[in-house]
Amino acid sequence: MHYVLHYGQIAPYLPYLIGGMAISLALSVLSFIGGMVLGLFFAVIRNEGHPILSRLVRIYVAFFTNTPQLVQIYVIYFGLPDFGILFSPFAAVLIGMTLNAAAYLTEILRAGLGTVHAQELDAAETLGMNRLQTLRHVTLPHLFRVAMPALTNQYILMTLGTSMASIFGVEELTGRAFNINSTTFRSIEIFTTVAVLYVVVTFIATILLALVGRWAFRARVPVL
Amino acid sequence: MLSFLIAEIPRLFTIYNVILLLKAALTTLSLSAVGCVIGLFFGFLLSIARLSHRPIFWPLKALALIYVEILRRVPFLITLMIFFFGAQVLGFNISALAIAFISTSVISTAFVAEIVRAGLRAVKPSQMEAAAVMNFSAWHSFWHVRLPQAWPLILPPVFGYFVLFIKDTALASQVGVLELTQAGKILNTKGFSASLVYGAVLILYFIISYPLARFGAYLERRLGASRHSRPRRAI
Repeated sequence: MHYVLHYGQIAPYLPYLIGGMAISLALSVLSFIGGMVLGLFFAVIRNEGHPILSRLVRIYVAFFTNTPQLVQIYVIYFGLPDFGILFSPFAAVLIGMTLNAAAYLTEILRAGLGTVHAQELDAAETLGMNRLQTLRHVTLPHLFRVAMPALTNQYILMTLGTSMASIFGVEELTGRAFNINSTTFRSIEIFTTVAVLYVVVTFIATILLALVGRWAFRARVPVL
Repeated sequence: MLSFLIAEIPRLFTIYNVILLLKAALTTLSLSAVGCVIGLFFGFLLSIARLSHRPIFWPLKALALIYVEILRRVPFLITLMIFFFGAQVLGFNISALAIAFISTSVISTAFVAEIVRAGLRAVKPSQMEAAAVMNFSAWHSFWHVRLPQAWPLILPPVFGYFVLFIKDTALASQVGVLELTQAGKILNTKGFSASLVYGAVLILYFIISYPLARFGAYLERRLGASRHSRPRRAI
């Protein structure tokens, strides 16, 4: 009980930590975009694709949402080299997170697609829109407006999930925290500082995404 | 390569290793379950504090808000590390398993509190007004009016969170808790191929999680009205 907190000792490392934060953000943004693209594709297949493809997407989603992201990345990073497929740590984590995010986002987007009214699609057809135009002007705006809160939630959870990249040696925020921990041994100080940084970053992300949702899709998302 | 892996399978699944994996699976399950039960208890207390209107509860309300908003935004790995090193610093001699149990409870309290609050808020105010008109005490109107209506809205998402949290407990392997992921690591260190071992671990997680997830979906359909129970706002 004779421990004295010395936040001063880790103050010089703050720029180093913020650099790590940039890598964390890059990971989360890239995997979110990748997951969105894959997820949108899968959601459309799942809703109106060929029955066999639809079944395959269902299996994919069930498998990836029912297994931990950590072990998925373990398989990609440590398991695939058995078959001669080697990834750098960053690439392995990025692929794992994207595949994992795609599964969750498929479910979110599919639920959103289900809320597009049939009348709206009929109206678009009456106006002579082709399928792409319908997607661009009717389905997607509606989808994002409905799904925005869930998507924000998913993005925040993914930002928190990037912390497991440190386990594979990616020097993002948590990885750099471990580095500083092993040079200064100021464990409590360093990990509480990192926790505060995560809180700040996710708060900013929540507010930004809410503003984007309001501005671009007129989603009714409370900013705070 | 594939033939090597297939040749390895009988060596991997000896009685000893299977018992190791099953014990580890039990730890994984109990980490999430204990976390969620304790989380449900404290989550109720927190959300009752947050929903009360009396001025006496103001500081408590603020504390509950800060707890929920902050703990939901800290990665589980960081929480684990803070408790791990915090226990060292404070001189508590407790096992890694105890640390994992404490961190799962602390984290799930924050998440479950938010679900409970959304459920309690979904009950129409007119119900409580009616209870007040009938001269119910605060406790009576909570226990006999509010809770029975909120319960079906709270239970399915909490169960869903419990299933989600099973996967998050994989991170407890980082402080050395012998759960499923750690068992995979141990077997991998013993010389079995990573792809085989972690593949087996993935399948075990799936076997645990998938039936529970299906049961959760059934619960949601059965109790109905799940749409109202989800927190409207993003995290």
